[in-house]
Amino acid sequence: MSSSKGLTFKGGIHPTSDGKALSSSAAIQDAPLLEEYQVIIHQNIGAPPKVLVAKGDEVKKGQVIAEAGGFVSVALHSPTSGKILKIDNIPGPMGVPVQAVFISADGEDQWGELMPPMDWKNAEPQAIKDRIRDAGVVGMGGAAFPTHVKLSPPPEKKLDCLILNGAECEPYLTADHRLMVEYPEKVLEGAAILGKAIAVTDIYIGVEVNKMDAIDTLLAKADAYGIKIVGLQVKYPQGAEKHLISAIIKREVPTGGLPMDVACVVQNVGSAAAVADAVTEGKPLIERITTITGLPVKNPSNWRLKLGTPIVEAIKFAGGIVCEPAKIILGGPMMGFAQKSLQVTVTKNTSGVLLMKKEEITQYQSTACIRCGRCLDACPMNLQPGSLSAAIESEKFDLAAKNNLMDCVECGSCAYVCPSNRPLVQHFRRAKAEIRNRSKK
Amino acid sequence: MEVFVTAVITMAVIGIILGAIIGIAAKLFKVEVDPRIDLVSELLPGVNCGGCGKAGCADFAKSIIEGENPPSKCPVASQEQISSIAKALGIEVGDAVKQVAVVFCGGDHNQEKVQTLYNGVSDCVSASLIAGGPKGCSYGCLGMGSCARACPFNAIEMLNGLAVVHPHLCVGCGACIDTCPRKIIELAPQTAKVHIYCNSPEKGAAKMKVCAVPCIACRKCVKAGEENQFIIDGFNISVNYEAEKLVDTAIFENVKCPTSCLLSETEHLKIEKASKSEVV
Amino acid sequence: MGEVTEYLQLTVGAVLVYNFVLARFLGICPFLGVSKRLDTAMGMSGAVIFVMTLASFATSLIYNYLLKEPYPICGYTVNLGFLQILLFILIIASLVQLVEIVLQKISPPLYSALGIYLPLITTNCAVMGVATLSAKSNYSVGQATLFGFFSAIGFALALVLFSSLRERLELSQVPKPFQGMAIALITAGILAMTFIGFSGLC
Repeated sequence: MSSSKGLTFKGGIHPTSDGKALSSSAAIQDAPLLEEYQVIIHQNIGAPPKVLVAKGDEVKKGQVIAEAGGFVSVALHSPTSGKILKIDNIPGPMGVPVQAVFISADGEDQWGELMPPMDWKNAEPQAIKDRIRDAGVVGMGGAAFPTHVKLSPPPEKKLDCLILNGAECEPYLTADHRLMVEYPEKVLEGAAILGKAIAVTDIYIGVEVNKMDAIDTLLAKADAYGIKIVGLQVKYPQGAEKHLISAIIKREVPTGGLPMDVACVVQNVGSAAAVADAVTEGKPLIERITTITGLPVKNPSNWRLKLGTPIVEAIKFAGGIVCEPAKIILGGPMMGFAQKSLQVTVTKNTSGVLLMKKEEITQYQSTACIRCGRCLDACPMNLQPGSLSAAIESEKFDLAAKNNLMDCVECGSCAYVCPSNRPLVQHFRRAKAEIRNRSKK
Repeated sequence: MEVFVTAVITMAVIGIILGAIIGIAAKLFKVEVDPRIDLVSELLPGVNCGGCGKAGCADFAKSIIEGENPPSKCPVASQEQISSIAKALGIEVGDAVKQVAVVFCGGDHNQEKVQTLYNGVSDCVSASLIAGGPKGCSYGCLGMGSCARACPFNAIEMLNGLAVVHPHLCVGCGACIDTCPRKIIELAPQTAKVHIYCNSPEKGAAKMKVCAVPCIACRKCVKAGEENQFIIDGFNISVNYEAEKLVDTAIFENVKCPTSCLLSETEHLKIEKASKSEVV
Repeated sequence: MGEVTEYLQLTVGAVLVYNFVLARFLGICPFLGVSKRLDTAMGMSGAVIFVMTLASFATSLIYNYLLKEPYPICGYTVNLGFLQILLFILIIASLVQLVEIVLQKISPPLYSALGIYLPLITTNCAVMGVATLSAKSNYSVGQATLFGFFSAIGFALALVLFSSLRERLELSQVPKPFQGMAIALITAGILAMTFIGFSGLC
């Protein structure tokens, strides 16, 4: 580590109370088996998987229930053994109804036929990538982008560096933290496998320095894998891929570019652990570690939840609620998605279920921009949030696009620091949606 | 007298010289411009709404002359205007049925349950990006008025959290269609006076949970109407606008829609206006 | 000293101190009319610079050789000075007309960039103003052309500044009663006041 404060990027914010203490010392627990799971079919960015099962079919745990529907798509597996009840719409995490497979558990939780373990050290990179795709591994930090696609850049792009994101900069979330503390080998082995898949030996794991126990555990074992552990400054959004790259290897991803443009691939530690499971044990991705937290939760804690667990059940695992929550968020408070239904189920990218009390979520009135420029300092992408939002409010989307609106990562730092409580990110998300809409035509 | 004469003579001489120069220059540097473009532009309404798919009226005029579009492609111009353009150019009028926009939702604040408190930006796209919007129905009108702001003719009114089109103001330019994140605005022939104000593909029971006026696909209207007048699509029924004989208000003599989502335009407008005054 | 001051006044003075729009209040109509967008303001500025320079050259020619001194013709001595305004209008209008015709043929791209603005400024008060001011100050042909050019630069400066301000203004939330031309005029007033800061420069 270069300094006790850790490496970092320009901009960003320091949320005053990060709420991590609620659940950071709670060991990961296995969730009890439920009677019914509702597995959302389209859990990844890209093409939706094609359903292979029908009503009444018997499935085993880990059996493929939907196969990849294209290159940018992954397979989906049954989280437990049982019977397919039906395929129907349920409320989705984005607020629109989505298709889900209803599985009635038989209580056996019996594995079906697993994929054979691989000797990854001597395997072909392509075989590893295929395995990762078949195991349904996606970016588990939030975007759910299929992992094997990130590992397969076009041939003219050479890669020389792999970065694992263990920053977990979102307040409240501790799932990755616990994973690194409790299963360091899995993370490290997953990192080594990912490195093998893209033929890269320069591997870093970036961890914010508020997780010293995770850094120490990883450091103790990292040498055997030849992986470098980097301490990062505690700052949001340290875990965004462009900012990890900027902090660790000091490269700037160009406007509109991807990490592969600077010869780099970024993966989440959770995905790395899932890769390790998939390659060494042949287990597909059917469960993930999720933090169930917030002041209204009785025992904020970290759980290994099967895909398709309704969040209302997940909250019950954590002891239920002690007071009425006013807001329910999937993910962290900065970039997570507010929910209007408790029937939403856990997907591959549900890093947390956050409940907030009424007192915590102030219903504010936003006032005029006072041109203080704090958003300029906070923006990690070096944009001008204030003038962008002014352009959007007067419906000048072309002007906003000209000023690089599309580079916005929607991290919410600008809205967080705004003394006038302006809903900046909401404007940006709207304008990005409109601009994408227009360019489609 | 002397002054007067010199002034007249000087001005006349200079005027003649300059006039001659300009006249010669105009002959020498003559540039041909198609005079018909100006003529057609003058005859067009000149609102530059873009409803024809061209960048403004002048561009449309050019496309008429080049034969790319018939004059009737202009959704705003009256029949007389169109025929006068056609007459001036000596071409066919072209036949296009006049269309108006219809918002296929009847869920205003009285009819539809609001499930969440939304205090963000008052814009439909913004609202739809947060948990799918505050209203219970995931397919209905969000009621924040993005379409009303986009309408160049002020034909859409926000009544009690529901966008309602005034058919006599609507010219069918379609500017509202793209602004709706729910895609519930569509163009229908102006001659169609009866619509089913619901587009949710959910099951009837699920719709009834969140809305008082959904189409529950009971098919009473289908049975009462003539063949082909309605399209049954899963759990939703819509009026077939391509039918030979469109549904008209006569259907209400035979059937009453149990959820009142099958309504005539005037009735729909009346209900929404009444419910607005109730709220206020 | 005298020479230098005179040329300073002709150049820097015409641009900043005696700015046509903001100090002499000439040419207000195009200043308000075509300042909504920066690119149209640029086009207008180009046209104004072009026409004003040409017009001051042509009118000063007429002034210096026809109007300034009594003129002997066929045994009579005539003084044409009183025809100044009439002649200037005639000259400028036909000059602009001529330029427009020639431009349309020779350089269509330049015509489409400046074309629509040219008729707007045929007898614009700024163009007339620069001609009469040169005549009043008894400038030679060279001086008058220089003065015309730099006055036009001053006009362009004011127009470009103002249109940038108005573009920015469009993004602001202006209270209803002030929207549109009202806030534009207030802004123009404040801009004019800032130009007072240059007085005394030369």
